[in-house]
Amino acid sequence: MASGAHPALGALGPRVSGLGWLKSLGRHRLRTALSIAGIAISGAMLLDMVMLSGGIEKSFAEMLLARGYQIRLTPKGTLPFDTEATLSGAGELIATLRRDTAIESAGAVLGTSLYGRVRDSLVTLFGYGIQPEAQSLYVLESGRDLEPGDSLSILLSTPAARLLGASIGDTVMLVGRLDPQVVTASVGRRLVVRGMVHWVYDYRGQPSVGTVLPVMQTLANERARDRASLLIVKVRDDRAVNEVATRLGTAFPRLEVNSVADLVRHFKQRLVYFRQLSYILGSMSLIVTVLLIATLLTITVNERLGEIATLRAIGISQATVIRQVLVEGTALTIIGGALGIVLGIATARYLDSILTSFPGLPAAFSFFVPRRESLATAGLVLLVTGSLAGLYPAWLAARAPIAATLRAEAT
Amino acid sequence: MTGETVLLAHDLSKDYPMNGEAVHALRGISLDVRSGEYVAVVGPSGSGKSTLLQLIGGIDIPSRGSVEIMGTSLSSLSDRQLTRLRLDRLGFVFQRFHLLPVLTARENVELPMAEAGMKGRERVARALELLGYVGLRHRAGHMVTQLSGGEMQRVAIARALANRPALLLADEPTGELDAATGEEILALFSRLNRDGTTLVVVTHDERLAAQAGRVIHMLDGRIKSDLVEAAPL
Amino acid sequence: MAIRLSHWCCLPAVLLAARLTPAAAQIPEIAVERHLARELGLSVGDTLRLGPTPDTVATLVRVAAVYEPRPDPAEIAKRERHLRMHVPDLASLLRLPDRVDRLSIGLNPGISSDSAVAALNRTAFGYRAYATAAIASESSQTFLVVSRFHRAIAVITIVASAVFLLCIMLLKVEERRLDAAVMRFIGVRRRTIFGALLLEAAVVAAFGSILGTGLAYLAGAATNAYYGRFFDTRLIFSLITPELVLFSVALSLALGIAAGALAAWRLVHTRPLVLWGRG
Repeated sequence: MASGAHPALGALGPRVSGLGWLKSLGRHRLRTALSIAGIAISGAMLLDMVMLSGGIEKSFAEMLLARGYQIRLTPKGTLPFDTEATLSGAGELIATLRRDTAIESAGAVLGTSLYGRVRDSLVTLFGYGIQPEAQSLYVLESGRDLEPGDSLSILLSTPAARLLGASIGDTVMLVGRLDPQVVTASVGRRLVVRGMVHWVYDYRGQPSVGTVLPVMQTLANERARDRASLLIVKVRDDRAVNEVATRLGTAFPRLEVNSVADLVRHFKQRLVYFRQLSYILGSMSLIVTVLLIATLLTITVNERLGEIATLRAIGISQATVIRQVLVEGTALTIIGGALGIVLGIATARYLDSILTSFPGLPAAFSFFVPRRESLATAGLVLLVTGSLAGLYPAWLAARAPIAATLRAEAT
Repeated sequence: MTGETVLLAHDLSKDYPMNGEAVHALRGISLDVRSGEYVAVVGPSGSGKSTLLQLIGGIDIPSRGSVEIMGTSLSSLSDRQLTRLRLDRLGFVFQRFHLLPVLTARENVELPMAEAGMKGRERVARALELLGYVGLRHRAGHMVTQLSGGEMQRVAIARALANRPALLLADEPTGELDAATGEEILALFSRLNRDGTTLVVVTHDERLAAQAGRVIHMLDGRIKSDLVEAAPL
Repeated sequence: MAIRLSHWCCLPAVLLAARLTPAAAQIPEIAVERHLARELGLSVGDTLRLGPTPDTVATLVRVAAVYEPRPDPAEIAKRERHLRMHVPDLASLLRLPDRVDRLSIGLNPGISSDSAVAALNRTAFGYRAYATAAIASESSQTFLVVSRFHRAIAVITIVASAVFLLCIMLLKVEERRLDAAVMRFIGVRRRTIFGALLLEAAVVAAFGSILGTGLAYLAGAATNAYYGRFFDTRLIFSLITPELVLFSVALSLALGIAAGALAAWRLVHTRPLVLWGRG
């Protein structure tokens, strides 16, 4: 057994030392399980907050672009369907817009409250007056779509159909301009149900109906002045949206011109609280993860100082010891993080079900949107943070005085 | 059997602060150990035996004096270089074995070889060879927690031999063992020395001292006597 | 009385702030909220023109007062701006004479709102009467949702904290296993060791609760300071009540002691030799 030179020093083989330190996670199963549970819950919270911080505007933008219309024009100082304000001269405005070569399609929309007569009583409905050749508000589910100029037909949402007790082919009576003091309507129209639609911006259970624009203007008393709630514009080239929006803003100074990006910005401003909450809670999750891993590893290192001193005595380098402590912390983070992602998706669904019950919020909207980028971001942040949490205990391990520790172990 | 100088310690001293005063654990120890020697260091508790072992093993730093291993002065080495020297040229056996409980016997023996960069297959083969040498090849796949005290100490000895050390240092290797098991370890040390391993063993065990070729008696941090015994059988 | 009419939203877009010399004593007077006054550089005595649409900004009015708006959480993120006018002036501006959205009614002492509402709904037609509390309940649905959300987050946080607490207590207690083994060896009863560990857990939990309460006050103050500045409002965002403190302290104490009890129970029911490392 003579002494001899050995192959060049290299990193400690993972099969032996890495497994050794990873196997040590199984030494204290309950402790390891609790740590992983703690990391999983923190990881879930982090994932949820990442989804919340980015999900709001993504969901909103997707909703706005569902039918491809990238620009909205509304009365000055308002946002679409935010108020009851309307703009005048809708027909002329649409004609001007349609003459713009950069614009593929343009349409006017009027939103108004109106009533449906059901036997002897009136039920409250929300009415959309649309131009069928250029609409972005609904998706046809059954029956037929409206034709341009079809002033005898109506489209219903499922809640509206339920309220009116009507189905495709039935005739419904809509009344408008209701005098609240004598409860009489000065205008009414009989319309035939042509189709059932899903209104993209409706809140859950909203009873909405749709007719061609002139019919709804009549019911809303907006006919004489050709008014609309908003105009929608589809630009031919997506890359030209901002330029077209700027141009329209200059051309129509009495109107509010917003691209989808502008609307998302306004919307983000309204929901800034949730964004900030997501940052705060996300940061707290990371702090909890760091504390948990650092505490666990510090105590583990303290328990194994004798072992560490022995390894150092037999020639295991400081770098290897540090690496193994970090490997243990990283392993905990990876296992906890993987569980956390699954848990996070489940809790996100629950939290989303709470927030989407906001009154008046479109049913299509989501606060927590699970996307690959969110998962990757949360996973990466958790992994880096959890791994770095092992730095202090690793430093402790590396700095353990060999001789003193061995002496203490011997007593 | 003895050849070149493996260990050269000159005027080694070690002081520890305790309650504001200095405790002189070692006072000017000088010794040399040649290749093939079997040296037992004996003495009462507190005589500085373990401190001496830690200094010559590069685990601790002397307050004064110097240590050379195979001509390399330990004081000239950085912590990293000291670690490498311990990996390459020294082997350690401790009183309490200090094996990793989550590894098997074979994996514990592989540890220093893996750190030295030996490839997996070669490492496994050598680990099995070493376990066979200490009579535990049949227990290679067992977790060390499943081994007896004597078996654990034999695994520790196999680990110490992993990188073919120039010098094997043992601190009370039979301290935790019963008499019969201690005999097995003594026999193993004898065999090691016969096969060429240079040994420095700190011990209270008179049987071990008796079989060593050279016995250094220590008292109060000094060498009281340094006797070369008759060649061990 | 303040009236919110459907066209009110148009006003911020069409205000024209002007420091014109008042031409006549008949100029209608308005009160402008502080944020709007700051944004438009208005002060008391200034005149400006109002109109219901961007095309009809013609009516001259004078700023008679700048008021601090009542903190309304529903309005806080909207950045809408408001002003107040006398009803006849606004009705005239909007060309809607003698029309309002609603009437607010104050009852004489002793009259219940429910009976008044019932009487009004019975005797008149063309409108409906509602008790203010019913309206408030209806319009506070948004805040109920936010409350539910906060509660859900709180539950998740409590669960995470409980797991964390249990883990830490387990680690702390396991650090004492050698001491516990020695005590068992020398004959100390399990009950005694359990009690000692439980007491330790209780003390740690108590100190932690006090520290946590202090941190909560600090965090609450920081939250109110930050959001108050961010939204430029006197609204209170974080309110820590004695009941809340009591509940939180009780919960954290209970969780801490329970975690300590579980960890201690586990320790005292482990064989001493195993604790010593020889079993």
